[in-house]
Amino acid sequence: MRSDYIRIYKTVHTWTGILTGMALFIAFYAGALTVFKEPLARWAAAPVAALEVPLAETPALIAKTLAAHPGAAKGFQLNLKPTEDEPARLSWVEREEGQDDHDTLSGHHYSATLDAEGNALVSESQPSQLAEFIDILHRVVGLPFDTDPNRWLMGVVAALYALALVSGVIVLLPTLVKDFFALRLGKNLKRMWLDAHNVVGIISLPFHIVMAITAVVFAYHDGLYALQDKFLHNGRLANAFNQQRPAAKPAPRDPADMLPPVTLLERAQALSPGFEPSSLQYVNLAGPRAMVRVWGTDPAALAPRAMGGFVALDPWSGKVLSRDFLPGTQDAANTTLSSFFALHFATFGGTPVRWMYFLLALAGAWLFYSGNLLWIESRRKKQRQGEALPGQRLDTRLLASATVGVCIGCIAGISLTIAAAKWLHGHVADLNAWHWYVYYGVFFASLAWAFWRGAGRAVVPLLWLAALSTCSIPLTTLLAWAVPGLGMWANTSLAALGVDATALAGGFALMWAARATARRVRLGAEDSVWSARKILPSCQGLS
Amino acid sequence: MTKTSTKPAPIRRDWIAKSLAGTLLGFTLAMGCSGLLILATAGLSPGTRAQFAMWLVTPIWLGVLSGCFFFSSGLRAWLWLGGANLLVFATLLLARPA
Repeated sequence: MRSDYIRIYKTVHTWTGILTGMALFIAFYAGALTVFKEPLARWAAAPVAALEVPLAETPALIAKTLAAHPGAAKGFQLNLKPTEDEPARLSWVEREEGQDDHDTLSGHHYSATLDAEGNALVSESQPSQLAEFIDILHRVVGLPFDTDPNRWLMGVVAALYALALVSGVIVLLPTLVKDFFALRLGKNLKRMWLDAHNVVGIISLPFHIVMAITAVVFAYHDGLYALQDKFLHNGRLANAFNQQRPAAKPAPRDPADMLPPVTLLERAQALSPGFEPSSLQYVNLAGPRAMVRVWGTDPAALAPRAMGGFVALDPWSGKVLSRDFLPGTQDAANTTLSSFFALHFATFGGTPVRWMYFLLALAGAWLFYSGNLLWIESRRKKQRQGEALPGQRLDTRLLASATVGVCIGCIAGISLTIAAAKWLHGHVADLNAWHWYVYYGVFFASLAWAFWRGAGRAVVPLLWLAALSTCSIPLTTLLAWAVPGLGMWANTSLAALGVDATALAGGFALMWAARATARRVRLGAEDSVWSARKILPSCQGLS
Repeated sequence: MTKTSTKPAPIRRDWIAKSLAGTLLGFTLAMGCSGLLILATAGLSPGTRAQFAMWLVTPIWLGVLSGCFFFSSGLRAWLWLGGANLLVFATLLLARPA
């Protein structure tokens, strides 16, 4: 290949990387945690005394709840396997008219159970939105709300990320064979970082290609469908997606006549023996397109959506309305479509694949961090023997501060906002708002600190902050268990304890990074932005 | 840098022209290709077909955008991608059921 191309694509790689690296770091770090969204939600859920309603008594629960709260007929969920974060058998969310589909935060949460006399007992609750908050950081590259404009911005970032991937591979191609198996540890630190950046990039390339394409699709699918509907489907798209449109409006049916959930579950099970139902979602019971979706997973099949797959049944007759999303029994075309989602959400292959995605996402976050470090290192003005220390360029110093502040601030902010789920519970009126305050407070304070002190002198304290914040997650649980009087809790399910164990390992990894970095800023080259030994001449004005 | 007499003409950077060609014409080309896919997959149910057509746009769009810096100039990028667009949309118009 002509070296001209390599130079052009090197420029493309540099600029797309610099523009998006930090946003992608947040998306990947928060995304790694989102792989374990359910365990996080279970960790953060305060225990409640839920009256258990046996599955056989759920028809009465549904009928009495709907009689008392007709609004629930729009949609409610019957939980088959109660967990810490979903303890009630029956729950629903009432949302404002005209609310954005992607807005998962607002709305009133209700749950219903039966008291000893068999009356419906409805209560409003404020479930923890911690896991959802981290998912939002992931979905819109660290912005606070999942709105259309924020998602479009994420789409631009994802498109530039695709450019960075392709250009990075093109730049590496001529020396791929030579460089791939080489990790040159030694005196040339830049060489070592570049080798590591290349190895991680090439090994996880398929993962990154999947993420770049799916992320752009998730950002723009509404717009793409709208354009294709206008120009390619002649406006028939709505019909294509709703094939079971009834000819005439049927008479309203009585919810009390619906088939009992046990029978509906049997129908679903009969379609696919490997299907393991987890919940029943009743939709639009008062409307013409009433249905119940039996959600669940099949350990031997990929799941079409993040929360699994479903078969849609008519709640009165049990007739199958759609099995396009039933894991394990999808036809080839629908399995292919579902695989695009499964490849993003890690909903295939069970827990081992989730761990693989967790590690790949963390490796991805490191890839963007190391990319910025390499950019800075390539622009270092070297000190010549016997000459005075040269001042480093302002842009490299600023990028170093921003990289350290954004990346480590994001880690510390997320860890502290996780711990806050227990510390602030019962002490603040709106805990879910406090998750925002804690995260952004820590994030922006870290960023400001990094700019104020300069990267070399801010990085070690910030790494210690991140390490201790992350260790505070299991320590909080330990303290809650040891001192029950504090009003905190220690959920002991494997999922919740897994969060504690992972945070402990992460905290230790960050401590190791803090110690290694401390050595570098003390003993490393003085002409580097990572040296903390003295204030660089041109920095003096800043501090 | 060494100078040799047999060196081919340098590749023009033309950042703006190439990026715009890759972004705009890459997108229209991808939409046109998704139209061809809709025609080619008449055997699928309409809902499934529409989903495939939507998913096809992004990989083609990003692929063209990533590759467009290989054109030796911005003008060539516009001409080649414009030609590809013409070809795809002409096929789409001809093949489209009336």
